[in-house]
Amino acid sequence: MSTAGDYKQQHLIKMANQIASSIPTREDIPGQISAHMRQFWTTEMLKTLREIAAETPDILSEDVHSALQSL
Amino acid sequence: MKGRFAWGYAQHQDRITTPLIRDSIDDEWRPVEWDEAISFAADRLNAIKSEHGVDAIGGITSSRCTNEEVYVVQKMVRAAFGTNNIDTCARVCHSPTGYGLKQTFGTSAGTQDFASVEQSDAIMVIGANPTDAHPVFGSRMKRRLREGADLIVIDPRSIDLVRSPHIQAEHHLQLMPGTNVAVLNAISHVVATEGLMDDDFVYERCNKTSFKAWLDFISLPENSPEALAEITGVDAEAVRAAARAFATAGNGAIYYGLGVTEHSQGSTMVMAMANLAMATGNIGRLGVGVNPLRGQNNVQGSCDMGSFPHEFVGYRHVSDDTVREQFSSVWGVTLREEPGMRIPNMLDSAISGEFKGIYIQGEDIAQSDPNTNHVAEALKAMECVIVQDLFLNETSHFAHVFLPGTSFLEKDGTFTNAERRINRVRPVMTSRTGLSEWEATCALSEAMGYPMPYESASEIMDEIAELTPTFAGVSFDLLDKLGSVQWPCNEQAPTGTPIMHKDAFVRGEGQFMTTPYVPTDERSTRKFPLLLTTGRILSQYNVGAQTRRTDNVVWHAEDVLDIHEADAEARGVKDGDWIEIASRAGQTRMRARISDDIPAGVVYTTFHHPVSGTNVITTDNSDWATNCPEYKVTAVEIRPSSEQRA
Repeated sequence: MSTAGDYKQQHLIKMANQIASSIPTREDIPGQISAHMRQFWTTEMLKTLREIAAETPDILSEDVHSALQSL
Repeated sequence: MKGRFAWGYAQHQDRITTPLIRDSIDDEWRPVEWDEAISFAADRLNAIKSEHGVDAIGGITSSRCTNEEVYVVQKMVRAAFGTNNIDTCARVCHSPTGYGLKQTFGTSAGTQDFASVEQSDAIMVIGANPTDAHPVFGSRMKRRLREGADLIVIDPRSIDLVRSPHIQAEHHLQLMPGTNVAVLNAISHVVATEGLMDDDFVYERCNKTSFKAWLDFISLPENSPEALAEITGVDAEAVRAAARAFATAGNGAIYYGLGVTEHSQGSTMVMAMANLAMATGNIGRLGVGVNPLRGQNNVQGSCDMGSFPHEFVGYRHVSDDTVREQFSSVWGVTLREEPGMRIPNMLDSAISGEFKGIYIQGEDIAQSDPNTNHVAEALKAMECVIVQDLFLNETSHFAHVFLPGTSFLEKDGTFTNAERRINRVRPVMTSRTGLSEWEATCALSEAMGYPMPYESASEIMDEIAELTPTFAGVSFDLLDKLGSVQWPCNEQAPTGTPIMHKDAFVRGEGQFMTTPYVPTDERSTRKFPLLLTTGRILSQYNVGAQTRRTDNVVWHAEDVLDIHEADAEARGVKDGDWIEIASRAGQTRMRARISDDIPAGVVYTTFHHPVSGTNVITTDNSDWATNCPEYKVTAVEIRPSSEQRA
């Protein structure tokens, strides 16, 4: 990751994991994450998150990985 | 005080009344005519669009501007820029209110009118300081409290309402910063397990499946006041007493401010309050409700006007084909169906070199937004920063174009306040810049190839009404006739709607949400053992750009850091000493003031003076749902300083 890209990537990682840990109603968490991202995230943000998931899978929670599969 | 008397800034010598441009932020500003400034700005934005695409530019609207001024900025961004990269300064104050109330009640607004407080029997004030930040409504609330309504304050600080002449809070839950959700869960636990719910209201008005899930969750022993006392710092019996007082008073009303929203769990907390109001039947009549106290004069309006990157005017998602086609048809342009970037995402993308140009209406993001160093780095990386404001500010240090704005005394249009009331504002002095702000925006849009040929602010409101079901009946003629009106105002409610959700929730059934407490990542450590929280004072408004340019500065010449005597003594700090405040984001200096308004372990300051650099030390933590910054919790350390300013 470039230094310049770090801000963007680190914030997206934090946002995604925080959504996973904070979604209020704790049922079908991947489904809720994907619905949230579909509503609020840009295509470019989702593309970057997918690249992060492929390159450094351990950095994202299991629920985020599951959500990305349905997006 | 700040609104009624501090308006001399409109004639202040610092006002910029002529457009300014410069090729580089290292150059001196060059005063020019409007035509040249507009042409310069349009050429730069169009050049970025051509080279980097439409998503390389965006805009921010202001909650200090009128509905009509905000509407044309978001329309310019969506139609002329060709992107949904539009956001608002409400992002950093009440965006969790919009999210949380829409999820639970179905609409992004407070439920009551201001007069409702006169019928309240128990008033719960959470993370708000009405006597300082909302003094007009604060007076109204105090009158009701003097008449005998019970007062429950949930705040780390002893705000004036806790004890002031003729007013004494029966309950002050002095929680640790960052534990709002835990305290509200504990209150709801008491309501649910002690038989204090309004079963009839829940049965008739709320979704039963969501209620059952919430009831199972909130009744868990882990949500009891006793289990949460160690986390919140609040005595369990005090929580139980406050819960009983609220649930049994008759009319229980919740009023809240940025001490609720500006947390990593801001949206969850808004939903937790909505749960409590529904469980106790405190929705849909006078004297009750969930009531946000807004940060600026037109926060409600700027949100209503389509300033969020995922919503058109009236909170309708950009992906809704029917809605988008309606806007496309009236605006005569194809609109994007995917959401745009929020402010923090635009800034991150600027640093990574993808986002190049921004139009900023009436907001000083280099002072008001968190982690100032990050904001400055992002602005510095852009090729075209356009600032529209009254004064050169911290953000304009990084700007290439400065478009002079107008004060409220020069504006013709409408503001919408926290009770959804649309009020007319009429000019009492001619524009010192020669143009209305909406005229300047329309000129830029036309120069970029998308004309918006309005003749008046009234004509803009007519278009808003045409496109927005909740505004369908609103016009300047109606406002002139009635004085003001609360939305929804349409065929079903031709004179407006003072109380929301009377017979049914906007979404149909009220939706309970389970609200697990998730601690913020920002915790006190050995290196940063104190928790900083921030707020406002009576004489100053927001970042102080206006009120610092009035005689009000006599009452507040500088921001100071309030620190408990025990914490000060442990660090060798005396009242009035210069101190250094450091967080993991940065450091600054200011004077210390020994105060017993805050508990040991907590420090407090305001952000009205840019030299204080308060937001140099706040972090980029934010609400999980909306990215509203977590201004209210920053782990810091304090030490005496031999120097003064940083």
